[in-house]
Amino acid sequence: MIVGELKSNYASDEFIWDNIYKKLFLIGCIIFLILLPFFSNDYVILLASRMLIILTAVVGVNVVMGYAGQMSLGHAAFIAIGAYVTCIFYNLTEGFIPLGIMPLISIPLSMLLAALAGLIVGLPSLRVKGIYLAVATLSANFIIIFIIEQPFLSQWTGGLVGIDSPNPNLFGWDMDTKREKYWLVMPIAVFLLLFAQNLFQTKIGRAFIAIRDSDYSAEILGISLYNYKLLSFAISAAYCGAAGALWAYFFARILPEQFELLLSLQLVVALIVGGLGRTMGPVLGVILVLLVPELIKMVFGMIPSDGFSIEKIRAPLQEITFGVLIIGFILFEPLGLVAITDRLFRFLNRWPFAQ
Amino acid sequence: MVFAQFTQFFINGLMGGAIYALIAIGIVSIFKATKVVNFAHGYIIMFGAYFYYTFSVIIPGLDWMPGWLLSWEPRWLVEWSGNLPMFSPLSSLADWIKNIPRIILGISGALICNSILGLLIERFLMRPLMGQSSFSMIMVTVGLISVLSGLANLIWTADADFVPYISPNAPIRISFFGATIFIFSSDLINVLIALILFVLVVGSVKYFKSGIAIRATAEDQSTAYSMGISVPKVFAGAWWLASLTGAMAGVILATRNGISPTLGLFGFSVLAIVLMAGLDSYMGVLLASLSVGVLEAMAQWKLGGDWAEVTPYIAVLIVILIRPHGIMGQEEVERI
Repeated sequence: MIVGELKSNYASDEFIWDNIYKKLFLIGCIIFLILLPFFSNDYVILLASRMLIILTAVVGVNVVMGYAGQMSLGHAAFIAIGAYVTCIFYNLTEGFIPLGIMPLISIPLSMLLAALAGLIVGLPSLRVKGIYLAVATLSANFIIIFIIEQPFLSQWTGGLVGIDSPNPNLFGWDMDTKREKYWLVMPIAVFLLLFAQNLFQTKIGRAFIAIRDSDYSAEILGISLYNYKLLSFAISAAYCGAAGALWAYFFARILPEQFELLLSLQLVVALIVGGLGRTMGPVLGVILVLLVPELIKMVFGMIPSDGFSIEKIRAPLQEITFGVLIIGFILFEPLGLVAITDRLFRFLNRWPFAQ
Repeated sequence: MVFAQFTQFFINGLMGGAIYALIAIGIVSIFKATKVVNFAHGYIIMFGAYFYYTFSVIIPGLDWMPGWLLSWEPRWLVEWSGNLPMFSPLSSLADWIKNIPRIILGISGALICNSILGLLIERFLMRPLMGQSSFSMIMVTVGLISVLSGLANLIWTADADFVPYISPNAPIRISFFGATIFIFSSDLINVLIALILFVLVVGSVKYFKSGIAIRATAEDQSTAYSMGISVPKVFAGAWWLASLTGAMAGVILATRNGISPTLGLFGFSVLAIVLMAGLDSYMGVLLASLSVGVLEAMAQWKLGGDWAEVTPYIAVLIVILIRPHGIMGQEEVERI
């Protein structure tokens, strides 16, 4: 039982994993992720990789919505930018740059360009907030996808029909199966998640939290809203850019319609279902939001039928479940899944002395 | 020639803008009363359109329904329309008279069912959240987007279809300073319906007791409550108003564009227009709707159809950057 966290110096206050249980949990998770490919089939690998890619993006949305408190409904656009930059960079520089170090350049480049786009999209956040900002970012999402679809860019972006994306190649290791690509996706996703966790122990992260709690108060305390609001957008867009780069490497083809409003909503829903402004929020949220449609698919797979009519019901049912999830969580558990796990751990921690 | 085209597109834009205004009433009414921005309004409109489709196409087409419901052909009408030349204004009038029973059934069905839908949403999803931050209510409407579009796909399937016009559809040729302009009479009547409804809603919010209650609630919920105004009733009233105007907008959109699941997307562009206007001003919304309608028509004329789709979003970004609270919106005073 933990009765309290005894800290005798400032350094220990800044530790992220301040108790042994958290450390063990983190190590356990990493070991699980490393061992996962050795005992699971291709389907599980595909699902896990998709979860890790979306997780990276949701962690980015968490930076801007959960920590800096700026509402955004347009982050799918940054994923699109990351994915397209990766493909276009590959197509333009194939031959000049050795394939083996291509991902090492293209993933940071995707993050950088997505961050630049994030700076531009974040500009309205200096003037407006709340719902106005949500609609401004939503508009930006529509406009960015529209630009990608334009015919005058189609020699690079492929226009409406999309573009074939390259396979990653790390130092001569050509990753052409999903199982091999997992080794590219997993370390980057885990690293970025830990980096975000670390960010909130620094000056920048604390400034974000101050802005979320009250932006005028934060300004009076000497936090430059101009710098930090834009920085929060840039960081979160960089995360989404990385997710986009991984997306492009992982899937064989990218289409502009994949990055429309629906994906933005999915990111926000995963965050809210998991828990805003918490480290484990995105993780739990992404697992639930991606697992539920798969469960529906499995249940429907078990029902013997002619296959056609049942298939017609499945897609709308998945959509409805998605909506019911978010409405249910807001009505009955507004703090998300982390609130449930918190209660569980508190109970275990205090048992048998209190409930 | 350029002048004629310009006038034609300008008038088309104004007509589109009037329908945007009708859709926008719903979003503004709900915002004024409850401080919730309804992201799912487009999908409520889509339900209105599908209800109209159900009551004017599916139900009259059933085997056990009387034949006059699908096509009303009294003897005098058959005799009269038999002598009319094809494609003349009078023959389109005759076609419309045949459809009157199912149009009436369709519109009343759409209005009733959509009111029930709006009241259900308010009672079971919005009222439990009363008094909490508007963020969670807005997120509920975001969740409603997927629930409603999934339900529509489940009930009506995703196929596109056509519905009867609600008014005679004859082309009218107008000479305007030497330029010839074509207008469809049904478009003209749609615009009239939209504008009349707009004036009715604005007038009732301004002068009727229930409208004053809405404005009082908008000003301060707890004070309104303590002054004897039933805030839950005001919430229900606002949602009812929104779903009613939404049903009418859905019927009009269904006749203009046909029935398809993409109708829901109109909600997002109208949301952009409403924010551009400033969320709580009916006059600003009318102004913004008409100007965006005209801008869209101009974009369609000069740049092509796909540019028209993003026009509202570009417009709202520009307006928000210059005037953060919209063209005519009230600036919120914030205290620490």
